[in-house]
Amino acid sequence: MAAALEPYVNHTVSVITADGRNIVVSGTLKGFDQTINLILDDSHERVYSMSSGVEQVMLGLYIIRGDNIAVVGLVDEEIDSKLDFSSLKAEPLNQIVH
Amino acid sequence: MSEEVENVQQTAVEEPLDLIRLSLDERIYVKMRNGRELRGRLHAYDQHLNIVLGDVEETITNVEIDEETYEEVYKTTKRNIPMLFVRGDGVILVSPPIRGGN
Amino acid sequence: MLFYSFFKSLVGKDVVVELKNDLSICGTLHSVDQYLNFKLVDITVMDGHKFPYMLSVKNCFIRGSVVRYVQLSVDDIDVTLLQDATRKEASK
Repeated sequence: MAAALEPYVNHTVSVITADGRNIVVSGTLKGFDQTINLILDDSHERVYSMSSGVEQVMLGLYIIRGDNIAVVGLVDEEIDSKLDFSSLKAEPLNQIVH
Repeated sequence: MSEEVENVQQTAVEEPLDLIRLSLDERIYVKMRNGRELRGRLHAYDQHLNIVLGDVEETITNVEIDEETYEEVYKTTKRNIPMLFVRGDGVILVSPPIRGGN
Repeated sequence: MLFYSFFKSLVGKDVVVELKNDLSICGTLHSVDQYLNFKLVDITVMDGHKFPYMLSVKNCFIRGSVVRYVQLSVDDIDVTLLQDATRKEASK
């Protein structure tokens, strides 16, 4: 039932990766498989820091290997559009420690 | 299967997991990766050492280096969790019932 | 399959999933699979001030391999039933 991600296809998702640096990648989920390899189109990284607001880095079409995925979140675009990322400051997320 | 044979199977310890089966409904000690320790009542486990514990006390030990003396300072924090599923890949060891009130 | 069945019986209940990156996600269990991947709905990230990474996410998929703990409600669990199921599974 890796089909769990089926309802997220063609929607904007926010992915938290296993390494602390690549914190959030938002894009449109184009495909996935049973190991949770993902295809993200039109993706960008949101880089969080304490010194300045969230920086957005354009990435484009990305394939992320399942091993490096922690969380895939379905983005509520209405809420997302109301967030003021330029003033949002936060510590970078820890990396996954197995 | 006769009742006698079944009883033997219930109590015999032939492999490590049998020892854990005998600890069901007992308070056990679990040592985890990353300086975490758990004490709680064993309610369930499987072959991966996925575990469910009740009435859990978690102890987290962090080592910090004192900036002036360079001594290692151990800091422990504790918290209580009423019911907890523990994923087996983080488990280092499981120790059967804590005896004599240790 | 013990824990797969266990979590299937908890669908619809509120849980807190603690990840190996110290993030704790609180939500209602929507589904689980054989790898113990979880889907949660109506989520909030605990300590949301410190971790504002998922403010616009209400539903999420969590890869089983990154889970450290799942905190459960005592009321949702029949410990006698669970211990019996464990003994049955162990004697296979």
